[in-house]
This record gives sequence, structure tokens and C-alpha cells, in this order.
Amino acid sequence: MSAIHLDSIRKSFGETPVLKNIDLSIRAGEFLTLVGPSGCGKSTLLRILAGLEAPSAGSVSIGDRVVNGVRPANRNLAMVFQSYALYPHLSIEDNMMTPLRLRDLSTAGRLPWIGPLLAREKYREMRRQVEETARVLRIEPLLQRKPGQLSGGQRQRAALGRAMVRKPVAFLMDEPLSNLDAALRIHMRSELAELHRSLKTTFVYVTHDQAEALTMSDRMAVMMDGDILQLGAPDEIYNNPQDIRVAEFVGAPKINLLPGVIDSAGQARCGDVVLSRVGVGAASEKVTIGLRPEHLELAGGDEKGSLTGRLVHRENLGADLYLHLSVQDGAHRMVVRTAPHEIGRVSIGDDVRFVRKRGEAMVFGADGKRIRLSETPAAAVPEVA
Amino acid sequence: MARTQAHWWFVGPALFLMVVILLMPIGIAGLLSFTEYSLGNPDAHWVGLDNYSKILTRSTYEKMFGATFRYVFVVVPLSVGLGLGAALLIHSTRRFSDLYKTIYFLPVMAALIAMAIVWEFALHPTIGIVNRTLEQGCGTFLETWGWYAEGCANGFPTWLTDRHYAIWTVAFIGVWQGFGFNMVLYLAGLTSVPRELYHAAEMDGARSAWDRFRLVTWPMLGPTTVFVVTISFIRSFQVFDTVEAFYPQGGGPSKSVYVMMFAIYEKAIQQNLMGIGAAITVVFLAFVMLLTVIQRWLVERRVHYA
Repeated sequence: MSAIHLDSIRKSFGETPVLKNIDLSIRAGEFLTLVGPSGCGKSTLLRILAGLEAPSAGSVSIGDRVVNGVRPANRNLAMVFQSYALYPHLSIEDNMMTPLRLRDLSTAGRLPWIGPLLAREKYREMRRQVEETARVLRIEPLLQRKPGQLSGGQRQRAALGRAMVRKPVAFLMDEPLSNLDAALRIHMRSELAELHRSLKTTFVYVTHDQAEALTMSDRMAVMMDGDILQLGAPDEIYNNPQDIRVAEFVGAPKINLLPGVIDSAGQARCGDVVLSRVGVGAASEKVTIGLRPEHLELAGGDEKGSLTGRLVHRENLGADLYLHLSVQDGAHRMVVRTAPHEIGRVSIGDDVRFVRKRGEAMVFGADGKRIRLSETPAAAVPEVA
Repeated sequence: MARTQAHWWFVGPALFLMVVILLMPIGIAGLLSFTEYSLGNPDAHWVGLDNYSKILTRSTYEKMFGATFRYVFVVVPLSVGLGLGAALLIHSTRRFSDLYKTIYFLPVMAALIAMAIVWEFALHPTIGIVNRTLEQGCGTFLETWGWYAEGCANGFPTWLTDRHYAIWTVAFIGVWQGFGFNMVLYLAGLTSVPRELYHAAEMDGARSAWDRFRLVTWPMLGPTTVFVVTISFIRSFQVFDTVEAFYPQGGGPSKSVYVMMFAIYEKAIQQNLMGIGAAITVVFLAFVMLLTVIQRWLVERRVHYA
């Protein structure tokens, strides 16, 4: 097992820059997710790591070895593709055997018919490895079938099996779940995470689905416009985004954003409502205040610092109920999370009062960067909602 | 649902045309092959299998099969192989690929009769460009090749009129004319090979071009290959126009280029021996039918993976 380093990677297709100076260190054995909207360069970065694409500048190293000039076949990485890319003319067993056959056998051993006779011992060993992998993935009954006879989920497993069978340095996965239906996708999330725990190998996983990134990874890198905006554990990315684009991208439903200003007392306020205390920021700077739906709750009475919105839509997910509220006369839309039993009989068009929970708001400056909250609350403002 | 006769109105015209212009002529040819019928001869005699036994025993027809199979088994592998090779080369380059496609496809588009005249000039024993060019090489290191030295001493082959060379020369022209067509079919096949399969092969450790070809390109071209091979077989069995253009009388030097189509034409049309002509036609039909059945079987069994 070895760590992977990407140093100042740049890539442009013609005049269009796709990756702008990416630095990324992937620890040995971790599950790292590259997540971002489509076109952000995450797949390109993975393909550069795999060697299928050459970077315009920068270096890729696996362990201590710089692999820029090394072709993909010699990097000992395994890749799972979005379309699975199984060889349609080979049975699942032969598909899984292919990487072993190409790596471990001499030219003579690869000859049809004669090869298995010449390298009988090796073939037995290879078949044993395939069977072992198939047992782990529970695809033993499918080994003799062709990919065309399998369902999407079974093909997904077969593709995983082909990647696993030769014990690579790292697994690269390019949106492997996006061709599956929703229920299977959620099931495979936990299965992949378990697989990672048992294999203890590095996984580099590319997805556009922030839920997959949050649920599976040890660390996730949020990419946008060819840059890594933030790299960290899923908790940290979710609770402590450093950039407004990260805050917006991660979390479903999306974070609520309200325009505001920082007043002379160093408080971020939206209209009359003080939403958060900021450090020694410049007064009257225009800011954006972010509040996640679960950071808001319905107000009992006419509490101080509460906001009012008109209910435009209610989204019932069973355990949670999301209220879509139109605030400031329809200028903004906010989503508040409640439990179904808390809401009572509110119907569309009613006014709803809600307040933020203490200490949860995030304040972003005009450049989209996070403004740090002050460590010590200013004594002059005792009762800030 | 009420039973109506409407379905006959839908299938009727197609059925009628199929019977009249496809099945009946075949049936009539089959019947004629058991007679000694000739045009204008009102009372043809039933001769049973005589015509067929002639085909199997007489030396003319032995030559016919020899010429046909020589031609077919040279033209099919070479035109398929060259077509595939050209397609792979053109597919791998982006520069001038349209130009190459056009050039290789030109012989397919050209009228073969006109091209045959050009080849006849080029291969003329004394004034043709081929032998003239070969003579230029005399006296150089090429003479170390025995065949070449022989040509320099006693004259180069007369190609189209030499009975040892004639069928191979005609086959060469068949390859020249046909492989562009196969190339176009293969190019179409190549565009449908998913790129991700090549990436998967590379990740799996396919280092050489041959490995990638064996693992991805060749299997994915399976359906195309079956089609290309079948079409090439049928086209080469049907070769007629070059033979007719080069040898309007009698199928080449000592009948060495006496291919089936030409035999049918000669017997049935030129000599008005409908019976034997029909018998050759039936044999020809059997060959083509056999090829088609093999193609269907292969397509269903082997090359469609889904």
C-alpha cells in the first residue's frame, strides 16, 4: 500500500483549462471522494491519476515513484468505469481472469488451447483467485454467464470483481453507481464502504452525487471549475464549508442563503434580524448568510429574531418534513426542516414563523469565502438570537 | 374479433411479387436443370440427373470449379484482411483520413468494365506499364531473386494470357477492386466500439497493440466480420464482368479463368443450352445458400453478445 500524490496538476484541452493547479495527497488506504458538478474536472483528474490522460503540467506519484511517464498498464491501479466496460464476448469468469492473464502469464501461456496446458499451475492459481473474489462479492453463480445476461447491479459487481482480483495499489472508480436504480444505489453505497473496510486498500471515487460522497468517504474533495475548493472529512465539509459554493453543493435540500450586511457591532444581519456574530469584519460589508434547513426551527410565539415566511410547498419524507417558505415578499425561498408532528395544521399559503438555532449560521463574504466567527461574543450585545 | 379477409389484402401484393419474381424463377430453373431445354425448342426432354452428372464428371466443369474456388479463396481472405488493415490504419489517424477513404474507395465506385480495359493496357506483355517497369529492374540486385532473373532472361509473364498466371491476375484485380468496400464496412464497425473498453483493457494490462486487438477490437468487430466475409464470398462467387471483359471468348487461357457465372452465361446464353445452364445456376445457388445459412448460424450463436 502506498500513498498517492498529485502535485500542481494542470490540464487544458486546447484553450480551455480543465484543471488549474491541483495539489492532492491521497493517504494509503483511505476512501477519498472527488465530488463536484459535471464538468468540474473530477473525471479528468481521475483519468490523469490512472494514466489514461496526460497532464499538461505537474506530476503524479504513487509511493515514492513519479509515474508521469509510466503507462496505465504498469501503474498497478484498477479502475471501475461508469459503463462497467466488461468485455461482452467473455464470460464473467474470463472477464475477471483477463487482468491476471495479461499480467502474470508469459506470451506462450496466453496462447489459446496450448496456453492452459503449458502453464497449468498458474491457471489453477488464477482460477482460485477468481473464485475467491467471486465469493467475496457473492457472484459465484454468475461466473459462467456473459455480461449481456446480467442485470445492472450484477454487472457492477462483476466489474468490481475484475478490479479486485489482482490486488492493485488503489481502486479508481468513475461514477460506478450512476447507472443503477435508486434503491440499489443506496444499497451499494454501504456495500462499497464495507468492501473498503475489509480490503483496506485506497479507493479514489468520483461522483457528482454529494450524498454518495458524504456517506462513503473518509475524506472528500469538493471540486468546482477545475479547482479543489475544500478537502476534508465529510463532517467538516458539511458543517464547516469554507466557500459558499461548497456550502451550496453539499447538503440536500440546499443550504438557505440570505443576503445581509455586517453592522458596526460586528453582527451579520439580514434586514432587522441579527443572524450571527462575526469577528472584527469590516462594518457594512455585504455578506451572504447561510443556514441549513436543520438549523432552523419553527418559532412558538413572537420570539425575538424570528423570521416569517409564507408556506409555498411541503415536502414530506416520512421522518422529516421540509417546509418551503417564501420570505421577504417572495424575494427568497427558504427550506425549514421539521418533524411531521411539530407542524400541526399549517396549509399552503399560511404564514409561518421560524427562528434559527443558536450558533449555527455561516457567513460568507462578497468573494464567497467564509468569514470566521469571533471566538468571544461581544459583551455589548447580550441577547442575540 | 371478427374474422375478416383483410389480412390477405395486406400481405397479398408482397406475397404475389415474391412468388412471381423470386420463387417461380428459382423453381423453373430447378425444373429446367433436369431437361435439355433450349430457347425455341418446343419439346424438351426430361433427362433426369444427366446435367448434374455432367457437371461432376466433365473436365470443363472441373476447370470451372477450380477457377471459381481459386478466385474465391484468394479474393475473400485478401480483401477482408486488407480491408480490415486499411480500416484500422485509417481509424488510427486523424490526418488525411478522408483522403485515404476516398482513394481506397475509388475502385469500388469505378465501372469495372472500364477498369478492366485499363488493366488490360497495364498488363500488356510488351507495351504494358507493369512489364516495362519490371524490365527496368533487370541488372540490379533484384536478379538475385530466381523468378526475377528468369523473367529478365526469357521475358516476364504475359499475365492475362498465361494460363499459370491468368486466374491469379484476375483475382488480384478482384482484391484491388473489392477491399475498399470491406474497408468502409469495417470503418463503420470500428466507430461503434466503445472507447471505454480500450481504457479498461489498458488498465487490465494490455500493453501491446496486439493484446488490445485480441481483447477488444477483433471480438467487437465480430458481427461486422461475419457480414463482410459473407458479402465477400457472394461477391466473389458472382465474379463475371472482369472475366467477360478480358476473355469474351471462352474463359481465359485453357479455360483457367472459367468461373461459374461466366460458365452459366456461356452455356445458357451464348450456346443456348438452357438445361445445363440451369443446372450450374442451381449449384451456384446452393453454394450461396450454404454461405448464408452459415452466416445466420454464426451471427445467432457466436457474435451477438447481448
